[in-house]
Amino acid sequence: MWRFLARRLSSLLLVMVVAIVVTFAAIHALPGDPVTVMLSDHSADREMAARLRAEYGLDQPLAEQFLRYVGGILTGQFGLSFRYVHTPVVDVLRESLAISPVLALAALSLALVLGSLVGVHAALHRNRVQDTAIIVALVAGLSIPNFAVATFLVYLLSVKLGLLPVAGWGTLGQAVLPVVVLAIPSSAYVARLARTFMLEVLQQDFVRTARAKGLAERLVIWRHAFGNTLVPLATSAGVMLGGLLSNTVVVETIFNIPGLGRLAVDSIFARDYPVAMAVVLLFTFFYAGINILVDLFYGLVDPRIRDGATA
Amino acid sequence: MRSMLLRRVLRQKGAVIGGTIVLSVVLTALLAPLLAPHPFDATDLLNTWASPDDVNPLGTDQLGRDILSRLIIGARVSLAVGLSVVTVTLVVGVSVGMVAGYFGGRTDAFFMRAVDIVLAFPEVVLAILVAAVLGPGLLTVIVALSLVWWPGIARLARSLVLVQKQELYVDAAIVCGTPAVKIIWRHILPNIAGALLVRASVGVGFIIMAEATLSFLGLGVQEPVPSWGSMIRDGLPALRTDPMLAISASLVIGLTIIGFNLLGDGLRDALDPRLHGR
Repeated sequence: MWRFLARRLSSLLLVMVVAIVVTFAAIHALPGDPVTVMLSDHSADREMAARLRAEYGLDQPLAEQFLRYVGGILTGQFGLSFRYVHTPVVDVLRESLAISPVLALAALSLALVLGSLVGVHAALHRNRVQDTAIIVALVAGLSIPNFAVATFLVYLLSVKLGLLPVAGWGTLGQAVLPVVVLAIPSSAYVARLARTFMLEVLQQDFVRTARAKGLAERLVIWRHAFGNTLVPLATSAGVMLGGLLSNTVVVETIFNIPGLGRLAVDSIFARDYPVAMAVVLLFTFFYAGINILVDLFYGLVDPRIRDGATA
Repeated sequence: MRSMLLRRVLRQKGAVIGGTIVLSVVLTALLAPLLAPHPFDATDLLNTWASPDDVNPLGTDQLGRDILSRLIIGARVSLAVGLSVVTVTLVVGVSVGMVAGYFGGRTDAFFMRAVDIVLAFPEVVLAILVAAVLGPGLLTVIVALSLVWWPGIARLARSLVLVQKQELYVDAAIVCGTPAVKIIWRHILPNIAGALLVRASVGVGFIIMAEATLSFLGLGVQEPVPSWGSMIRDGLPALRTDPMLAISASLVIGLTIIGFNLLGDGLRDALDPRLHGR
């Protein structure tokens, strides 16, 4: 187990190093001089330009600047923002930091519950009209992009029926549509998995035994059969969380939510690359971290993966 | 063999529906200049957000451009991106995967490490990174999406080569002194091309969705070229007063991707008899 853990951690480290080098290169490969952007109206002020260059370390050799960049990440400051002059990136991020993970976790919970219910229902009515209808709905749920679904739902629920606010962030009502929109593809995915797993489990001997000893059908299905699909479902939940987190970029843009994803896109347009790259780093670290946790979880429940040569 | 596959695909209702949708989108894209009633970039500032009428069947957008014409030209953009990305990912992914699988050892370890690293980045985030460096535009979309998709193809190509390498015909070719490049290219590739093509075509729906997503975020195809994603972006703020733009673009993109995914699922099931009846 320890060797497995060490191997996974070393690959995590490699990913982080690559991410740091790539984002550093991206900031420096970009066209335009950041100091010119910062100065805007005062572009003729040579002295101020020199002061800013020194403050941002842009007058240093590239190797020096890279060390500075790594130092900024290790101290959690992430360097200085180009758009908000003199401000550390972490202060620009602070307000947005919690929003994307909250959205992603809420959507994940909704997707797991909804997806399991739909998937089990489909499995129990296999090859009948309900099953077919659900399968078609699942393909649609997986296929229609977030922003297209959001368009329909906002038009129907907010504009036509006036039930929910169109956009914004802060109240519970404003959170409903973003979470639902974010959760739809994952729900479809969970439902598909749950249906497949249930179809397999329902043919096992222990399900027949449970039925034979006269257990209530509800108990047979939910405790005995569904209980055995939980491990693969939990594993897929980890993978989904990473996907959901990066999809918050889209949902935050649609609903005007001041989260990390929208901040990243805004920062690219504002040429505030240190902020955009800090978000890229945070998302990547988080994504890689989740993948490791999923692997560890898998390793704990399945010794074949833990002891196998390749994970 | 080929007609059997076709018959198996045709037996699935979903694949037939998907195929019909895909065929109509492809025809629309091919015939776009003939079908579009107006030039897609003809602005008319005196006629913005017009309601549907005889001249503009779906009304006009914020610059007075005909929505139907832009939707039709948008089909070209989506398909062009889908096709380019599939081509690039196939060329890169298959080359890397086959070389890694055939030679094994250090070459294999190196390429598969690269694949693992690319896969460690979340897709949308990787695309944002590329968009930041190259600046928004069509080329950015193609590069970003190819970067995201080649590792999957490379893994598949590698595993297929590993299976083929056990076959007698490869040993025979080696004994005859055939150079490795020729074995890979002329002997192994034809045997795994089918599976690779199907896998790549299954991904087209998701590539089109990703293109629309980048355009929706403003990182994709730039004005005045229409993309369904950027049309939804333009239409959302006016949803309360003039819903036609956002709703029609959402409908078209939803249907198109459903079509591609239904067809892709059908192809995959037809090729893999183990999945029958699932």
